[in-house]
Amino acid sequence: MSRRLTAILIAGAVVTTGLLYVAVYVPWPGQHSVTVTGSVWASTTAAVALAFFAAGLVAWRHWPTTRIGLLFTVVGFTFVVPAILSNLHNSLAFTVGNVAQPFYSAPLIQLGLEWPSGRLRAQLERGLVAVAYCWVVGYNVIGTLFWNPRTNGCSASCPANLMLVDGSNSVHNAINDAAVPVSVGIGILVLGLVVRHRRLAAGWTRRATTPLVWIVAALVAEGVVQGIGNLTALPVSGFVLNEIVDVTLLAGPALVVISLTRTHRAIAAVGRALVGLSPAPAPDRLREALAGALGDPALELALRQPSASAERYRDTKGRLVDPGHPPEGRAITPLDSRGDALLVFDGSLVHEPELMGVFVSVATLALEQSRLQAEVASQLEQVRASRARLVEAGDAARRRLERDLHDGAQQRLVTLSLALSTARARAEGLDPELKSLLETASKEAREALVELRELARGIHPTVLTETGLAGAVQALVERSVVVTTIEAVPGERFPAPVEATAYFVVAEALANVAKHAPSASARVAVRRVVDRLEVEVSDDGGGGAAIESGSGLRGLEDRVASVGGSLRIHSPRGHGTRVEAVIPCL
Amino acid sequence: MLEAAGFNVTEAATGLAATEAATLVRPELVLLDVQLPDSDGFEVARRLARQDHGAVIVLTSSREASEYGERVTSGPASGFLPKDELSVAALRRFLGDDAR
Repeated sequence: MSRRLTAILIAGAVVTTGLLYVAVYVPWPGQHSVTVTGSVWASTTAAVALAFFAAGLVAWRHWPTTRIGLLFTVVGFTFVVPAILSNLHNSLAFTVGNVAQPFYSAPLIQLGLEWPSGRLRAQLERGLVAVAYCWVVGYNVIGTLFWNPRTNGCSASCPANLMLVDGSNSVHNAINDAAVPVSVGIGILVLGLVVRHRRLAAGWTRRATTPLVWIVAALVAEGVVQGIGNLTALPVSGFVLNEIVDVTLLAGPALVVISLTRTHRAIAAVGRALVGLSPAPAPDRLREALAGALGDPALELALRQPSASAERYRDTKGRLVDPGHPPEGRAITPLDSRGDALLVFDGSLVHEPELMGVFVSVATLALEQSRLQAEVASQLEQVRASRARLVEAGDAARRRLERDLHDGAQQRLVTLSLALSTARARAEGLDPELKSLLETASKEAREALVELRELARGIHPTVLTETGLAGAVQALVERSVVVTTIEAVPGERFPAPVEATAYFVVAEALANVAKHAPSASARVAVRRVVDRLEVEVSDDGGGGAAIESGSGLRGLEDRVASVGGSLRIHSPRGHGTRVEAVIPCL
Repeated sequence: MLEAAGFNVTEAATGLAATEAATLVRPELVLLDVQLPDSDGFEVARRLARQDHGAVIVLTSSREASEYGERVTSGPASGFLPKDELSVAALRRFLGDDAR
């Protein structure tokens, strides 16, 4: 709704209400003052008109796709304009005003039948609305032809009824009496249809229709009482009955307020639902949260099937959802630009663009967040797996290299060493220079063999593959220059990457002690705690080590992380160093 | 080298061949390489011990004994000789007859 139209409507409402008071308070010739009932009537009429204007403006703004705002405004104008005209001391205005006085009830009936969707759903409803318009106009035009105001309900100073054909009033009274059952009948039909609306509606519409049922019922009851009052003499004045109807009419605009309050509560609830969601909710959990926020328990979230060639969506209960054909009473909207997800919701909510705008944005955010989290988690898992594979491939390559050294160079050196020993034995008693040369060669060959073994062990410790962690740690400790106590090492076997990682933690930690605090003593403890291997190497050296300071420890940290473990160093300066690794053993 | 020192030597290329040969020739001493094509020396040593020919079993490898940890000492083998330290004298020590 444009700003200009809003301004015009507000000005129109203010001016017409003002005119009403002018019309009522400017006395006709011969009138002395305005009566109390006149003042009360003017005020309730103005209140009803203003309330309908305001509701019209608000409804227009919030539900721009429906006729609800227009109908409220029309009721407001048709309610107040005839009231002004009938109070002017001008025969034409007076006549038109009196003919048009009950016209507001036709758009009011239409409004009741269209609430809250702004549409007439059945042929019967459209027919009833047409009948209501014809009846209200026809019966009042005909009735006015036989109404003489000066002898029936108005003073002698009343302006003339320009449409008067026969002023005897008897015809007019007969028409009035005959009209009562028709008017009441139309009212009861409307009530029946509204009750039926409510019964057939679900969720949002049902809640919006409930107060309307009571309002229509009250109006029909008041109509019946008024009809009876017309036919017989009631102890209640027509004025009081009219005032009761006007006050009841005020509940109509209140419907808009109730509905908008509900909308805003729902918007707040949607926000709360998002805040309350875990970072990566499963689709059914997300559906539950969204359904709760919207107060639509049947709300569904349908996700595109990844392998489907055609556009196929399934909801969280596994049912197929066709985006082109929503189930009866439901509506479908895509949740993201990629069309990966659909929201299936209460169809009447399509007339709540503000609420649904916020709702779809929030749902999309939650879904995107959930998807992003899942993507990140899956990528992280891939990176973890590839890192573990890299380390395992490296270990395998080292094992192969060690075996190649053993089968090749090491065997040849052994053979060479044995041959030289034999040669030296055979050279006994021969040339002493030859014997000395052979001794040197034999010694060199043995030293080369020792060095080669050392190299091979550094590449991959065979003892680890052969005997497991216990033997390998024992061998490490035996070879270390540092005095080391083994507090605990489990004798059982673990997966190769776990054993290798634990072994390298101990080896690197002991090598560090040997390098930085060769005179210190060290303790090694490897324990299995449920499904983890806890490796601890501590020394009483000078401390001051940090993962950041040495590439050895950094490499070790990476190595431990590659099998999903963690490494910690406690090394306060002057208080020794403790290297702790926790390695999952599955 | 061993034959020159007066030993009768039967060679076996695999662990299976070794257990079969041991049944036939009833050796005094079996020099067993740890790394065999069909199994490892520790396993063959256990099989030989089960056959109970009374042979002294000496394991050998171009690796050091420490590379095999407890497997060397926990089995039925009498000892371990690194290949580069193999000699008639060393083997004789296992037979307990330095005089021969």
